[in-house]
Amino acid sequence: MRPSNEPFWWAMFGAGGMITALLLPVLIILTGFVVPAGGVDFNQLDTLFNNPLVRLIILGVAFLSFFHAAHRIRHTLKDLGLRSVATPLAVLCYAAALAGTIWAALVVL
Amino acid sequence: MTTETMTDQRTVTLEVFRYHPDTDSEPSFQSYEVPYREEWVVLDALNWLKDEVDGTLSYRWSCRMGVCGSCGTMVNGYPRLTCNAFLREFLPGPIRVEPLRGFPVERDMVTVLDDFMEKLTDVKPYIIREEEQSLDEGEYRQSPSQLADYKQFSMCINCTLCYAACPVYEHEDDFLGPAVLALAQRYNLDSRDQGNEQRQQLIWADEGIWDCTFVGECSEVCPKDVDPAAAIQQAKVDATNNFFISFLPFTPPGMGR
Amino acid sequence: MPGPLPRAKSNVWWNRGWPYRVFLLRELSAVAVAVYIVLLLVLVSQVREGRGAFNDHLDLLESPLFWIIHAVILGFAQLHTSTWFRAVPKSMRVKLGGRVVPPEAMIFGMYALWVGASLVVLAAFLVEW
Repeated sequence: MRPSNEPFWWAMFGAGGMITALLLPVLIILTGFVVPAGGVDFNQLDTLFNNPLVRLIILGVAFLSFFHAAHRIRHTLKDLGLRSVATPLAVLCYAAALAGTIWAALVVL
Repeated sequence: MTTETMTDQRTVTLEVFRYHPDTDSEPSFQSYEVPYREEWVVLDALNWLKDEVDGTLSYRWSCRMGVCGSCGTMVNGYPRLTCNAFLREFLPGPIRVEPLRGFPVERDMVTVLDDFMEKLTDVKPYIIREEEQSLDEGEYRQSPSQLADYKQFSMCINCTLCYAACPVYEHEDDFLGPAVLALAQRYNLDSRDQGNEQRQQLIWADEGIWDCTFVGECSEVCPKDVDPAAAIQQAKVDATNNFFISFLPFTPPGMGR
Repeated sequence: MPGPLPRAKSNVWWNRGWPYRVFLLRELSAVAVAVYIVLLLVLVSQVREGRGAFNDHLDLLESPLFWIIHAVILGFAQLHTSTWFRAVPKSMRVKLGGRVVPPEAMIFGMYALWVGASLVVLAAFLVEW
């Protein structure tokens, strides 16, 4: 039996799962409802998103969240019957996560 | 349902899965009226059927008290031991009795357990010593805390209800499955055991813990509260720690195994 | 002679009962997570673009469609959070002084951490600095 490289992906899945579990509900309420309702003005957001530390955190959260999602979607599609294409499916999912991370880096740069 | 209809009910309908390998090309369901008794379990009803109605009905059972693990059956679509599934839970019926899901069927409720048994022996579910301690050195001592590390996982009775609850086992022929992985973990966590490395190759492979997507139903259906899902997740954490530690030029204190 | 019946496999296993349906929804929360991170990055990018771009983006966010999208995402995120916290004690057995920390205590700890993290994020957005 081959040694598995799954620990590598699972570690990112776990870290991303934890960070999204902690941060997403409050972030969604803020950016999905409070910001559109005018509860946060432009200057506040401008200062926030231009802060170097905040930008770094956003990049880290995006990276881990994308790989968390990629890993979970990959295994869910496998469970739903895509076992015969497991390898291309894995490549596709993680490549999408990598592309998302590169885009995130360009956004916060 | 009122208590009145419950006490008035004299019989209950059992819809029993029937399959005979010599004569049937397809399984079918047969309905039987079975006497209803407050204290009867599904196994009592099956025994009554076999004694009084149809001697060809086949199913496994032995202890009638939830320790032998033989009588695992799907009862109304849910994996149960028929010896602790009371008829009164399923009133007014009908009660559908089928072989455990995920296994080939030998006949009626009798499943083919070869795959499970092979995987079970593969993970060496017994204490492995590099060198046996000699008798004059006395017994292998263990503290209550060391016992607590694995005790829960040692309660498994190999009833395979967890396999019937696991959609991954149903689809992935090579997956070791919940009980086998929990038992491997049970010995890996035993302070007297030194067989960790021999089991690792198997349980840390894709077909071991990594096929598990943590549906968690194995732990819900377990009649002995073994919690195989927890055993597997903890093994994933161990395997992941080991994976990253193996890239370090040194072994951090307390991490070598 | 037909012999033993082969293993039956079904691709609609997830529709066998509520625990399986909830499992599938829990796993599909990953889609919501990915979509939300994309929405967040678009917002960050528009804000960094300048006031004009942000105001245009605000028009979009104010539409009922985006309100509904965010509501659905929030539902999935909350499902992810609660199932994740419940899974923590299953994956980690923490011993303090030879005794295992009870699962309820670990879940409570996770929620305490969650409240703390949420307050920090709220402050970052709402308190002037």
